[in-house]
Amino acid sequence: MSEGAKSSAKGGGFRFKVRSPRDFYGGLALIALAIIAIWTSGDLPGMHGFAFGPGTAPRLFAGLLAVAGALVALTGLFMDGPPIESYAIRGPAWVILAILCFAGMIRGINFGPLTIPPLGLIPSTFAAFLVSIFGSTEMRWVESLIAAVVMTAFCVALFVYLLQLPFQLWPWV
Amino acid sequence: MSELLANLALGFSVAANPYNIGFCLLGALVGTLVGVLPGIGTVATVAMLLPITFGLPPVGALIMLAGIYYGAQYGGSTTSVLVNIPGEATSVVTCLDGHQMARQGRAGAALSIAAIGSFFAGCVSTVLVAALGVPLTSLALLFGPAEYFSLMVLGLIFAVVLAKGSVLKAIAMILTGLLLSMVGSDLETGAGRMTFDIAELSDGIGFTNVAMGVFGFAEIIRNLEMSQESRDIVKGKIKGLMPTRQDLIDASGAIARGTILGSLLGILPGGGAVVASFAAYTFEKRISKTPERFGRGAIEGVAAPESANNAAAQTSFIPLLTLGIPPNAVMALMVGAMTIHGIVPGPQVMSKQPELFWGMIASMWLGNLMLVVINLPLVGVWVSLLRVPYRLLYPSIIVFCCIGIYSINNSPTDVVIAAVFGLFGYWLNKHDFEPAPLVLAFVLGPLMEENLRRAMLIARGDATVFLTRPISAGLIAVAVALLVIAALPMIRRRREEVFVE
Repeated sequence: MSEGAKSSAKGGGFRFKVRSPRDFYGGLALIALAIIAIWTSGDLPGMHGFAFGPGTAPRLFAGLLAVAGALVALTGLFMDGPPIESYAIRGPAWVILAILCFAGMIRGINFGPLTIPPLGLIPSTFAAFLVSIFGSTEMRWVESLIAAVVMTAFCVALFVYLLQLPFQLWPWV
Repeated sequence: MSELLANLALGFSVAANPYNIGFCLLGALVGTLVGVLPGIGTVATVAMLLPITFGLPPVGALIMLAGIYYGAQYGGSTTSVLVNIPGEATSVVTCLDGHQMARQGRAGAALSIAAIGSFFAGCVSTVLVAALGVPLTSLALLFGPAEYFSLMVLGLIFAVVLAKGSVLKAIAMILTGLLLSMVGSDLETGAGRMTFDIAELSDGIGFTNVAMGVFGFAEIIRNLEMSQESRDIVKGKIKGLMPTRQDLIDASGAIARGTILGSLLGILPGGGAVVASFAAYTFEKRISKTPERFGRGAIEGVAAPESANNAAAQTSFIPLLTLGIPPNAVMALMVGAMTIHGIVPGPQVMSKQPELFWGMIASMWLGNLMLVVINLPLVGVWVSLLRVPYRLLYPSIIVFCCIGIYSINNSPTDVVIAAVFGLFGYWLNKHDFEPAPLVLAFVLGPLMEENLRRAMLIARGDATVFLTRPISAGLIAVAVALLVIAALPMIRRRREEVFVE
């Protein structure tokens, strides 16, 4: 969403000043969300007689959201507010990657060119822990490795042996 | 009065044999230990632990379940306070002030007051259920679809009022939450809505995925970009573990008011407990002489919602057992467990199986007592978890969240959805949008839509039905009044800003 901030105010032929970019671009994004919702629920039947169809409520609330988004964006034009804080890349990227690692490895995926066999709980937990460590600038190798091993062992003991949840532990079991 | 005593006596005679107390203690202990893990909320805890009660006799199983339920709920509150991750909708509010208290080194006081408030609320509402159970059932019957819809509107307005920033943005978040709750199959026709033809979305987006994403993952991402000093959860020394005399005095009013509000709202089926905790918080903030302390570590902000939530959980047994409508996901799981043990919720439970009904009510109280017994000594242990350095704490939270989300449906897609909501929550934070109203709207959305549709159908398309039925009109009037009160200071301030120009 941060790209929105770059194509900033001087885009059009007339000049206007965005006084509160957080509100202005936030409002615009909500309008976009509402438009997507209206577009995807467009083919659902609406009212028939007095009864709501499946599409009525989504379009109703999406319409209201568009209005609310527009009002938020308008306040961004007329009220002063703080600038948008810069987005960090490192933290979000590694955290999301760690979560995706877990999701991809635990049961395996077959997504386009990417195929991962089901690897089970132990490799997935260990990998997710290690990947997420990179999100912080304070990582220390030895400590992290030990923590990853301890954490994985703890999760296996708790979820598999104590709580008896049906997890596959290793790729080959 | 004699009937009340007889009912309670019957309940306690069932619940209070040594084996049952042992089961209850065990349940509360296990429930707390699992529930306290960040990312494993009340729903996941109860779902994971249900199978261990299947081998017990019905009464023992129910009592152990009550222990697990209270333990899980309290464990969830503990996580809310310590790491700002609510395990279920009712503890979203506890996060607001509870986590701020933890940051000020007062996590112990927050946790203790939550346990004490819950216990007090549990005691009062147990007596209330025993005394008023039968007459209150008729109150729930007065509520038709129009009233439920208006009640939920009121609940959402509570969430708007308690939001810190602009009223308009909070309303926008509510609408976003409602919209998100509609993803998935339509309740009446089964048509897939806004699913983008993704099979996994046809069941809708799970509450856990949204909550873990916008609170759990987003919080971690945000913490990572802060410098080490500003991020450390506890700045300075952890002050005393127990609440001080002053804390107890400050919280006592909030506990009493939260209990009353929670008991009343809990009787209304569907979302009662959730609305209760938001309502209790908003109410405390409104009547406080120093509302600016709320959201910055006010002890009333922990005491009121925790008491309300617990009182509502107790009184919600009335609609659960008489109308068969579970107020939240955890209660729905409990109904499932009861059915396995041969208890079918419905109006006949109170009269045909009195020993089960009252035994259950008594065991809920016992579960509550066990909670205080176990948790007050353990507060120190939980608080010391905050000493784990963040560079090791956050990967653990991520791993727990992943396993917790995955284990609910054995679905890797749920984990991915939570990751998407993590990024969404990060974006919301950058634009000063608050996630709490979004999450409440997300929980209430399906019920709200269902009741809106029914009400409109019954009224033959006449939208004024919400204003012509007296109870509904009253609820809407309160909602509008609250909204005006919340919006006024902002309008005034803005006008001043305009005049400064």
